[in-house]
Amino acid sequence: MKKKLLAVSLVAAMTLSLTACGGNGGGGGGDTSAGANAADGKVAITIFNSKIEVQEQFEEMAKEYSASKGVDVEVYYSNDTVAAHMATRYSSNDPYTLSMVDAKDIYSLAKEHAVDLTGEEWIDKTDYEISVDGKVVGFPVCIEARGLIYNADAVKTVTGKDFNPDEYKTLDAFQGLLEELVAGGMAAPTGVMKEDWSLGGHYLAEVYEEQPDVNGFVSSLYAGSADLANNAKWNSMMDTFDTLLKYNYAANSPIAAEREISEQKLAEGEIAFMFGGNWDWSMINAYDYTENMGMMPLPQNTDDGSNEKLVGGGSKYMFIDSSDNTSDAQREAAKDFLNWLVLEEEGNKFLTEKCALVPAYSNISADSLDPLSKSVKKYADEGKLIGNYDYLPDDHFSRCGASIQKYMAGQTDRAGLAAEIESYWSSTTPVAQ
Amino acid sequence: MNTNSMSYKCKNFLMFAGVTTIIFAAVVIIPFLYGLYLTFTSWDGVSANKPFVGIANYLSTFSDAAYWQALGRTLIYSLIAVVLVNVVAFTLAFLVTSGVKGQNFFRAGFFIPNLIGGIVLGYIWKFVFNRAFVAIGNALSIDAMSTSWLATTNGAMFCLIIVSVWQYAGYMMLIYVAGFMSVSEDVLEAARIDGCTNLQSIVHISVPLMVSSFVQCLFLTVTRCFMVYDVNLSLTNGEPFNSSVMAAMHVYNQAFTYKNYGTGQAEALILFIVCAVVGVLQVYIGKKAEVSA
Amino acid sequence: MDDLNAKAARDRKIRHTVEIVVLIILFFCFIFPFILVIINVFKVKADITTNPLSLIGEHGFTLKNFPEAMEKMNFWRSFGNSMIVTVSATVLTILFASMTAFVIVRNNWKACGALFGLMIASMVIPFQVLMIPLVSLYGGVLGILNHRATLIFMHVGFSLSMATFMFHGAIRTNVPIALEEAATIDGCTKWQTYWRIVFPLLKPTIATVAIIDAMAFWNDYLLPSLVLGRKELYTIPIATQIFYGTYSTDIGLVMAALLLAMLPILILYLFMQRYIVEGVTAGAVK
Repeated sequence: MKKKLLAVSLVAAMTLSLTACGGNGGGGGGDTSAGANAADGKVAITIFNSKIEVQEQFEEMAKEYSASKGVDVEVYYSNDTVAAHMATRYSSNDPYTLSMVDAKDIYSLAKEHAVDLTGEEWIDKTDYEISVDGKVVGFPVCIEARGLIYNADAVKTVTGKDFNPDEYKTLDAFQGLLEELVAGGMAAPTGVMKEDWSLGGHYLAEVYEEQPDVNGFVSSLYAGSADLANNAKWNSMMDTFDTLLKYNYAANSPIAAEREISEQKLAEGEIAFMFGGNWDWSMINAYDYTENMGMMPLPQNTDDGSNEKLVGGGSKYMFIDSSDNTSDAQREAAKDFLNWLVLEEEGNKFLTEKCALVPAYSNISADSLDPLSKSVKKYADEGKLIGNYDYLPDDHFSRCGASIQKYMAGQTDRAGLAAEIESYWSSTTPVAQ
Repeated sequence: MNTNSMSYKCKNFLMFAGVTTIIFAAVVIIPFLYGLYLTFTSWDGVSANKPFVGIANYLSTFSDAAYWQALGRTLIYSLIAVVLVNVVAFTLAFLVTSGVKGQNFFRAGFFIPNLIGGIVLGYIWKFVFNRAFVAIGNALSIDAMSTSWLATTNGAMFCLIIVSVWQYAGYMMLIYVAGFMSVSEDVLEAARIDGCTNLQSIVHISVPLMVSSFVQCLFLTVTRCFMVYDVNLSLTNGEPFNSSVMAAMHVYNQAFTYKNYGTGQAEALILFIVCAVVGVLQVYIGKKAEVSA
Repeated sequence: MDDLNAKAARDRKIRHTVEIVVLIILFFCFIFPFILVIINVFKVKADITTNPLSLIGEHGFTLKNFPEAMEKMNFWRSFGNSMIVTVSATVLTILFASMTAFVIVRNNWKACGALFGLMIASMVIPFQVLMIPLVSLYGGVLGILNHRATLIFMHVGFSLSMATFMFHGAIRTNVPIALEEAATIDGCTKWQTYWRIVFPLLKPTIATVAIIDAMAFWNDYLLPSLVLGRKELYTIPIATQIFYGTYSTDIGLVMAALLLAMLPILILYLFMQRYIVEGVTAGAVK
């Protein structure tokens, strides 16, 4: 009896593993992906999407695109960091045909893995493409920018006046408004995200990006010769940061603030301001939001003009794999796809209407954007975007973000924070440009 | 039949352990050796060339203060978690073998946390700590609970330990239950007749007979705690200010997020050696105890 | 004497009551997160954020998290994949590990010692160490990623050490060598002895290993995410990764997916528990 049971389970296991081998139709193994053709002779391409908020839209698009263009498209997403995921895909010789990555990843991956896109038609229509060694390799997916997100309704409810962001360019004016809001009954008008990518990668980065000579400043940081504590921009940004912290709804425990809760409060008008980017809309829209929201430059007491601009630019780049694992037919199909996004109405609609992305291309008009993206587009169209600095070291956001969290928790002061950031830079190997 | 001949040994070994040896070597040993080789290169994880750099990665490991801090933190965390997990597990095992009504139901209940994977489990607990506890704290005006424990250095560590105990206690309980059940009723009955109290019979009879359960549980908890990653990632993600980054997470970040693949691999290897030393030591001591018991 | 018995009975009753109370309190602590999951899975995201403790949110009772989660994770396909991988890997692990443990326990050969030593040592290798070498070798050199069989093979490889370790303990302490000697005298070969005498005696450990490994395989995320790069092969944990991440967590969907994914393994556990409870072979040899 026992033996029988065993025999049966053995057979079952074997059968299962066999069906497991045999039942693996479709995509095929990593070794066969070169020239992977779907069963019906169509070219099949894979796209790696690293913007989770548009994953659903991408999958839907893939279905429609496959049906109308005769090219099988499959869209993938991963929870890993982009760099880690790319590393595993490349070391297993199983790269995606098209990968959407961050600007810094393009610089590290392009030399060995990206196809030269020079001469593609879409290049004339954008200012944001990335070139490495004189070859165009990165296709900008959209424009994203950082700034102060506001909820105009929330302000109006308290002050009774329409909110005009242009009136609050300076920190003094902004602080006056915050006082007015507090006096009017909004106990804490701001929210501050505690995530390291927001603090280190987005807020602190503006300290570098708004310097008159960005590269020079970063070099001096590496060299250890920069004097952050006496740097005007640093102090101006920190003054603004202190103000945001002072009126923070989570002031008693700022590093416990959860992003979901902050976004909900902002969406529903419990707070009125939060530093963020237009990508925050994908979270705001899960709550009972108002359309009367937008983005404005961070208020600063400065006259260098940076308080009239958002910070941002091309965001998320696609490159086409150049290895032997991808066939020429696949590469052509991938190029066609990029052209479709920029040059055809369907593609435009997909980018701006379905995904609500701010187009990085001059020929694409976008009328139905969400409120935050509308602001970004307005600033971009007026040329009021301060460019991203794409060469921050990979651990910058995490290490410096941690230092700012310490500052928020009251474990260090401004001078201590400046010193920590300086010591981070001087002990880091410069990123090759 | 000569059971001492080489051919007999070979035949028997291959018959029983042949497949295991092959699979084990293919999945663990060979990749491990290849990984060892990679620690001598300055590979970035994606590039095609892997320049040989000798022991440079090991040298940079020694100057990586964050790594040693993470390792020290892991030691402390492991020490506390291992003790608590085993105390709770043993208590649970005792309670669910004492013949109370519905003990099977309880066994199932305590085991349930193991049915979820580490990543999801971390997110659920994060929700509990950040939202549920805070909501309870605010509703009942308990100051200690009105802000999230995850926001303070010690709090985050404490949360990690709570979750580890919650996660592993049920699992270890199973092993202790098996241990309790293997102590024969006759011996216990005899002890009872001799006038042993319950506590006495546990301390003097069950525990010595359960040494192998203890060895197993301790080994498992020690190694798991040392290599904690999933829960660390989803529960605290190293926050606040990287004060809850455990060794495995540091290694992962070093290799993939910061793209120092060789250094990360070298640091992982050191973590492995530490684990191995602790594990072997512990098993060795346990075996001695078993022999003398 | 009657008095004494009555007292003993009363004591036992008190003790049991205390034990039950303690158990119930502990039990509540253990399932508290699950209670929260069950409360919140029927609410929309906004209500979960507003008040995680309320039974019904402002936006009312909703079932939509379930169909939405099921659709997004392609539940039945992922479920099938998880099932194939988990069942095959578990059965194979049990067979190979118990056989290996048997030969190791009963023989003092160098090869056995070496294998067992390596296995024990390998249990403390952090997975991160093997991750990239593994994909480089199996993907880059052999090109056999993206097969369920490869995943099964690797699952077995990684779990053999631990399973062998557990069987090793069980055979050493619970399988009386006298039984085997008797079988040998009766003319059984080692192979026959193993399957007829030893393996059946290992039932409790088999059940334990089955549960532990099945759970590990069912829930594993990192390894399948490396091996299975094709959607049609996704197991449940990879299929649900889209619900949580660095930038956002859709906690309602996470909870729904969690409940859906837990059920089969819970059923397996309840079924197996009978064998675990049956207990170890106390008194096989008297």
